[in-house]
Order: sequence, then structure tokens, then C-alpha cells
Amino acid sequence: MNWGRVKAIAARKFASIRRDHRTFAFIVIMPAIQILLFGFAIGANPSGLEVITIGEHPVIDSLSDSDHLIVEAGIGLEESLSEVEEGQAWAVIESNGTALKVHLDASNQQVMQTIISEIRQALEETSPALPLEIAEPIHGEEEPEFIDFLAPGIMVLVCFMFSVILTTMAFVGERNDGTLSRLFAAGVQPSEILLGHLTAFSVILVGQVAVVIAIAVGVFDIPMKGSLTLLFALGLLLGWAAMCLGLFLSTKAKSEFQAMQLVMPILFPVLLLSGILWPVEALPIILREISLVLPSTWAAESFRSIMMRGWGLSAPLIWQSFLIVFSFGVLMLFAAAKSLKMRS
Amino acid sequence: MGVKVTSLTRGYGKVRVLEGLDMDVESGSIYGLLGPSGCGKTTLLNVILGFLSPDSGKVNVLDENAKVPGSDVGYAPQELALYLDLSIHETLLFHGRLHGMSTESIAEREKWLMEFLDLPDIQRQVGKLSGGQKRRVSLAVALLHEPRLLLLDEPTVGVDPELRARIWEHLRKITEDGTTVVLTTHYIDEAGKADRVGLMRNGILLAESSPKELMAEHGEDSLEAVFLALCKREVVV
Repeated sequence: MNWGRVKAIAARKFASIRRDHRTFAFIVIMPAIQILLFGFAIGANPSGLEVITIGEHPVIDSLSDSDHLIVEAGIGLEESLSEVEEGQAWAVIESNGTALKVHLDASNQQVMQTIISEIRQALEETSPALPLEIAEPIHGEEEPEFIDFLAPGIMVLVCFMFSVILTTMAFVGERNDGTLSRLFAAGVQPSEILLGHLTAFSVILVGQVAVVIAIAVGVFDIPMKGSLTLLFALGLLLGWAAMCLGLFLSTKAKSEFQAMQLVMPILFPVLLLSGILWPVEALPIILREISLVLPSTWAAESFRSIMMRGWGLSAPLIWQSFLIVFSFGVLMLFAAAKSLKMRS
Repeated sequence: MGVKVTSLTRGYGKVRVLEGLDMDVESGSIYGLLGPSGCGKTTLLNVILGFLSPDSGKVNVLDENAKVPGSDVGYAPQELALYLDLSIHETLLFHGRLHGMSTESIAEREKWLMEFLDLPDIQRQVGKLSGGQKRRVSLAVALLHEPRLLLLDEPTVGVDPELRARIWEHLRKITEDGTTVVLTTHYIDEAGKADRVGLMRNGILLAESSPKELMAEHGEDSLEAVFLALCKREVVV
């Protein structure tokens, strides 16, 4: 390993990145836009849901204070039900004075859950004698929102995705225009080329991870119970591992189109199997096994645990994640070095 | 020793590109490799550079301690192989650093190369130069670290005749100091200026000798005619 050459390659690559304004904007602005869009579009509880009430009940009075529901008193049951039928309202809450009966449009599960949860809350407020008490949660908020679950996963996705996309293009042009051959003729080793690229990209990675964490914690007010430094470190490590993967893909791609073809089948499983959008526990058993070997699964679960549970490096999940993500990166780096050598 | 290639075969998969090729490049000489595209010239250069290992046969380059690939070779690929977003200065600085040159010696060589190759302002971006200027920057990169062996793949394409003459003059001069030059070319008249010429076709050298000897041997008055005669003879056999 000749560090002078690594340094020269890193400096050259960094100069190129800095000069390429479009790419630079892409890597700085896109992650920010993406996490902002995710945060605003997914995970918040639906609001402005129209429900019709029939009859009198303390719960019905309490519901009218709800942030999520628009409560209207109905004229008769038949008319109210047909309004739900026609999509004018989501539910009819019928009271005979003592008991409640709810008629739901259950075609939208999230909406349905919100209405039921509002009714349950109103029920708890008005009749505290229920034989069920939810104690203060051990981890997380008293009224958890879906975004609290989603945000750590999205942060992982963004760190992963942009690092892969950024690096997958690295060697595509350089192989075709002969510049890579020239490096090899100068005696440069594949490992030196890879480390040089990683060094240059790492400067961007630091900014990327910082932006992602700042938006999640600052804009969306996601709870941050654990160490910010630890979260930052894991984000960097994940981005680094994803770059190693991207560089490996890059050694395999002959054109930019091929590079995109290689990236797509990687990003979809990462998005869907890493417990980012939905708990891993809900996956069929075979997919769960696949999920366990994805570094993004470990990173997402660890992000969540650092942020919500306040876990530190001493928690097995956290240090195991560091180890697994790091090993994945090293493995990809070796694969990339081997592949780059073979292609020369 | 310059470069000595003995019964070299090399293919890609089932396709044989080089079929028992012999080649002898004397140290401190200019060797012109002449042949149509697809004849295996680039594959041969890749074997000499150590990018490809021979399927069989032997390749000796310089001496046992030669750093090839490394700082003992200057290589200008047929493609321009330049980073278009860098300036000329940054390009030379980058390649100089790869060879472990000091900033001072890079600056010194840069000054000389700019003048010799008649290059524009060193701050000019490579991507915005004309084809011929890019070709000269590519050559400058190969010459920068004063290697013992120069491998130039089509170095004079798009370079004006006056400059081409200057480049040849320079190559001639550095061979006197012991540098070995192997270049490929399409220009038959250019190959005629080399110390030795190899006429390559279908993965072998049809003939290898000094231009004068080749012409005398075949009773022709130009290399082109010699090449033509050799090709015809091959078809008959």
C-alpha cells in the first residue's frame, strides 16, 4: 500500500466531485429532500376524518375535542349509514345512552385504526373505571406515532441509498476512457484506487449523515434518548459500507445503464426487508432469514434503539450492528479489489 | 534489454488474439508496430504492461528489477485517458504524485513539457482543449516521469506535421540516453522512421526488421508495398 498514491487519487477524485456542481447538489440536497418528504408524507396520524354520531353519550361529547375527527350529529341511523356508504363519512357512532356501537368504513386500515384509537381514548377519559391500565412505557413515548418508528429506518435508507448511488458510477466512465488503465500502468494497486475513492467520498458522507440526523431530530422532533455521537458513528459506518458495496457494483458495470440495473435490485430489498417501513417480525420466515444478513436491518434496528430506547454501545444489539456493518463493508472492499484487478 | 517476446499466445475465452508472436525490441531504440485495427496490437501492449498474463510464451521487459507496471514505464493509451474536468496542471501534478515525484521536479518537468509540446496555458481545463492538444497532454503524462520504457498507442493521431516531427526528434533524443520506445501507428511513413518495424496481422508479426532491410528484402520501395506483398503471400500459403 502506497499512501502517497492513495492521497493523490483521493485529491483528484475530490476535485472532480467539488467541480461537478450537479452531482454535488444531488448528494447534498437530495437526501435532505427525501427525508423531508418521507417525514411529511408518511407516519403522521390522519386528521380531518368525518364521523357521524347518533344519540347522546359522554364519549361522544369527548370525541368532539379530538384533533383527528370532525364530529357531526346525524339525523337518523339509516341516513347516516348511507352517508358512509357513499363515502361522505368514515364512521357512524351509535349510542342508546349506555352502550356504543361503531359502524366503520374499514377500507382504509390507518383511518380505521385512528378512529378506534380516538374512541378508546375518549372511553378512558370518560369512564376511568376500566379494568385496564397502560402503564408509562418502558421505551418510547406515551402516545407513539408511526413516524417515530419510521424515521430511524428512513435515516438508514437515505444514508445507504445515496452512498450506493454515488459510488456505483465511480469506475464506469474511467474504464471506458482508459484512465483506469493509465493508473494500472503507473503501478497503482486496485486497493489504492478504492481507498482513494473512499477517502474522497467520505468527506461528502460526513455532511450527508449530519444533514439526515439534523433534519430527523430538528425538524421532525424524533425522540433522541441515546448518544448523538454513537448515532452519527453508526450512520458513517453504514454509509461507508454502502460505498464499498457501490464501488464493488461499479467494478461490475460496463455502462451507466448497467450500473442502474445493478443498483435497483439491491435498493428494493433493502427498503422492504430491513424493517424500515414495517417490522421485520411481520415477514415470512424465509424473508426474515434474508433480512438478518442485510446490514441495513441491523442498522435500522440499532438506529431505533439508540433513538427510542437510549441504548449505548454496551447493548449487544448495538455493538453487534457495528461489527456486522463493518464486516460487510470490508467484505465488499475485498470483493471490489479482486474484481477491479480481474477487469484490468 | 528492451522488450523481448517469445512465442506469445494469448486469447480471450476461445478467441485467440496472439498466436505465437515473437518480437524483439532493442534497448534504446524506437520500435514501430504497424498493423490494421483488430490485429492484436493493443492486446500485445497489455501483455507487455503486465495487465494480461500470457497463455503461453515468454515476455521479458527491461531487466529483472524493472517496475512495469510502475514508474519504469510511460504509457499513453489509444483513448486519451485523461480526466476532462482537471486542468493541465492538475493532470500533471496528479500523475507526478502517483510516481512519487517531488513538487519541484514535477514543476520543472511541467515547464519543459509545456514548451516542448507547445501546450496552452496550464490552467486550461483538459476537457475544453482541442483533440490534438488533448493528445499532447496525454503524451506529456507518459513522458512526465522520464520512464525507461515508453509504450505509446497511436501517439500522433491528430497532431500537426510540424509537432509530429518535433515529437519524433524528442523520441530520437531520449533513445540516445537509453530509453526504449514502442509505438503503434497507422501512418506507414511514420513507421518508416523507427529503428525497427514490426508488421502485425492476425496475431503474429509477418516481418520484423529495420525499414530499409524490409524494403530491400522484398524488393519494394515503400513499407506499404512490403506490407501488401506480405499479406498476399500469407493468403496464398
